[in-house]
Amino acid sequence: MTFEVTTGVDLDDIQGNVVKAYGRYGLIVARYVFFQINGPVGGRKFVGNILPLVTRGMPWSDSKIIPRVATNIGFTYEGLRHLDIPEVTLHGFPEAFSMGMKARREIIGDTGPSLYDYWDPIWNTPNDNKQHVHIMVTIDGKEEKDLEDRYQEIQRILADNPEVKQLTGHRGPSGGMYQPAAAILPTKDKLGFPGGKEHFGYSDGITTTFFEGCGEEENLVIGGGKPTGKDPRTAAGWAPLAAGEFLLGHPDEACEYPEAPGPSLFSLNGTFIAYRKLHQNVGSFNAYLDAQGAKFPDGKEALAAKFAGRWRNGAPLVSFPNEEGANKFIAEFAALQQKMWADSASSQEKERFAELSLQLLAFDYSNDTNGSRCPFGSHIRRTNPRSALEFGKTKAFDVPGALSNRRRILRRGLPYGQVDDPTSDNGEHGVIMLIVNADLSRQFEFVQQQWMNYGNDFGLANDPDPLLGNHENKEGRCDGGRMTIEGDAGTNKPPYFCDRIPTLVETRGGDYFFVPSLTCLRMIALGIIDPT
Amino acid sequence: MANKSGNAYALTVLCPIRGGVQSHTAPLQQQLQTLQVNEQSPMAKVPNTYLCRFWVLSDVPYQGKPGFLDHLKSDYLVFSSNFYGELDPYLEGMWKALETGIRVILSHCVDGDSVSDAESFIEYIKRCKVATTFFFNGSTDEPLAQQLKNLYLKQEFSKFAFENQGKSASDLQAAFRAFVLRTQPDNLDGPTWAAGAYHLDKVVK
Repeated sequence: MTFEVTTGVDLDDIQGNVVKAYGRYGLIVARYVFFQINGPVGGRKFVGNILPLVTRGMPWSDSKIIPRVATNIGFTYEGLRHLDIPEVTLHGFPEAFSMGMKARREIIGDTGPSLYDYWDPIWNTPNDNKQHVHIMVTIDGKEEKDLEDRYQEIQRILADNPEVKQLTGHRGPSGGMYQPAAAILPTKDKLGFPGGKEHFGYSDGITTTFFEGCGEEENLVIGGGKPTGKDPRTAAGWAPLAAGEFLLGHPDEACEYPEAPGPSLFSLNGTFIAYRKLHQNVGSFNAYLDAQGAKFPDGKEALAAKFAGRWRNGAPLVSFPNEEGANKFIAEFAALQQKMWADSASSQEKERFAELSLQLLAFDYSNDTNGSRCPFGSHIRRTNPRSALEFGKTKAFDVPGALSNRRRILRRGLPYGQVDDPTSDNGEHGVIMLIVNADLSRQFEFVQQQWMNYGNDFGLANDPDPLLGNHENKEGRCDGGRMTIEGDAGTNKPPYFCDRIPTLVETRGGDYFFVPSLTCLRMIALGIIDPT
Repeated sequence: MANKSGNAYALTVLCPIRGGVQSHTAPLQQQLQTLQVNEQSPMAKVPNTYLCRFWVLSDVPYQGKPGFLDHLKSDYLVFSSNFYGELDPYLEGMWKALETGIRVILSHCVDGDSVSDAESFIEYIKRCKVATTFFFNGSTDEPLAQQLKNLYLKQEFSKFAFENQGKSASDLQAAFRAFVLRTQPDNLDGPTWAAGAYHLDKVVK
């Protein structure tokens, strides 16, 4: 039996980065700044001073009201402890959060080259592995100048507060004061949706998870919500996920409140963010793609597409199994996008643009139950299986997303750094991922452990995700990672096996942050949390 | 019948543990806890055992009001086994493989002394057997030796596919002939996975 849960979500009480991927609104540069609290009074004062700058979740339906800069804040467990949050409240937090990301390394696969020994110094104090990052402040802006203005504003707040220290130790060009990030935009001769690329050359951040009350454009439920079993190309094929999958104090997909500390006003409208700095081994990726792509019957680009489940230009493999069709689709899309941006599209062109936009999102795997188009092991089919875990059996469960609806996450963040030498793994480049979810253990950690670093749910034994998996040697596993690219019995195409995949993405730092509501921030600042 | 699913049998046995001034529970517990595990487990020698467990059931947990505070009449040795085939031949195989061990364990159980041969062992187990409910057979419906061989072949064939991808038809055929010679698909005695093994590097016998 399923229930329709209706929730009133007060977007004005929720931090903006929870409900919006700022990059979609043109806020395409960012700074992530971290602080340590050395006295609760000063700590609370800092929170109170930042509070007026905090961006809320109200919809930006009109482009005129989009701010030039957005600011948000989150706290580690140690951070909350240093703010003198009552013990009873602290003990109400789930274990994953209070342990912190480093202590959860065996679960999430931060081992081998992803071990904390290799993280940026900010995440490691010498001779002391205790968590010492307390506060994260994220600044997202339209341009560097906007970031700098807001950054200086925060510096002025800090100057007045000796009990709060800005932590240094980020590798990279900021002098270690903060973690910079910026969208990688297409150049003039490199058009392509949706603008944002990552360092392996894939268009990224195409699908956005859609939940009840999130305030985003309604048609984003298509491909972003949970599958209903109806036509995935239409709005009827999708429904918003329950708000409680992403916000504390709201019913989740099991019609229960997510685990959260009391008093209820403290956790209501709050959530958790896993901050992860992920380095990309671009040299290894290019070398592997060149070597294996020379042998792969459909060539290098097709192999890159099989890894991800989308062509590097963003076209989904299930809808565009051939490179030519994918390129044609994206070329038409990009041309229309230019017209849309220039405000010169005819009504017919607008309609066509809407139709093409939908094709990027509006699909499931029901036309590809043998994986011959989009491999079971490809990145997007693993991370967001849609209804694919029914394995072609209609009504296998009560609802088509029974095995995936409770494993959804919101993806925030931007790429960082640049690739100076595409043949080398060295350098400062990768992705800053901010993963939003109400339950770190059930959502982020599960996806990381079971779907990124293991393959059993997809019938792929212990094969990890080709792109994000930790491919270090494990007991009984062959040297490096493996991926099976399914063949097609219909056309007599044999499967193709990729082996000795090197680890392509390595963790370079991060932690779990509680991202409170505006109300809760005020309660922290005033020191009036009373769980009794 | 709840005890069977296809050719798989789910056996649940509750043997009362001897009471008295000196309880037999602790020594039995110790006996069970010091048994070897995995491929070294004595039960790995019992033909057709898919999965089994011995444990001591000392009492039932109290669920709180409005439930009763209730107790079992005695401690029990629980033996639970999923295996291939019929009960009598399985127990006969168990007796043949583990007679000494069974005698030691049953010496702690009420009337365990009455067991002196395969026949009396079968009879004793049947007296202590309870119906298994909610039986889910998580394995294929074949004798254990066949399943172990299948797993071995699957693992080896996967390696073969990765190692020989892209070879010419004649080279591939030659490699496959060598593969068949080495793995002997029809020979259930070997090479194959050892019963009880779970560690992929140590499984081949």
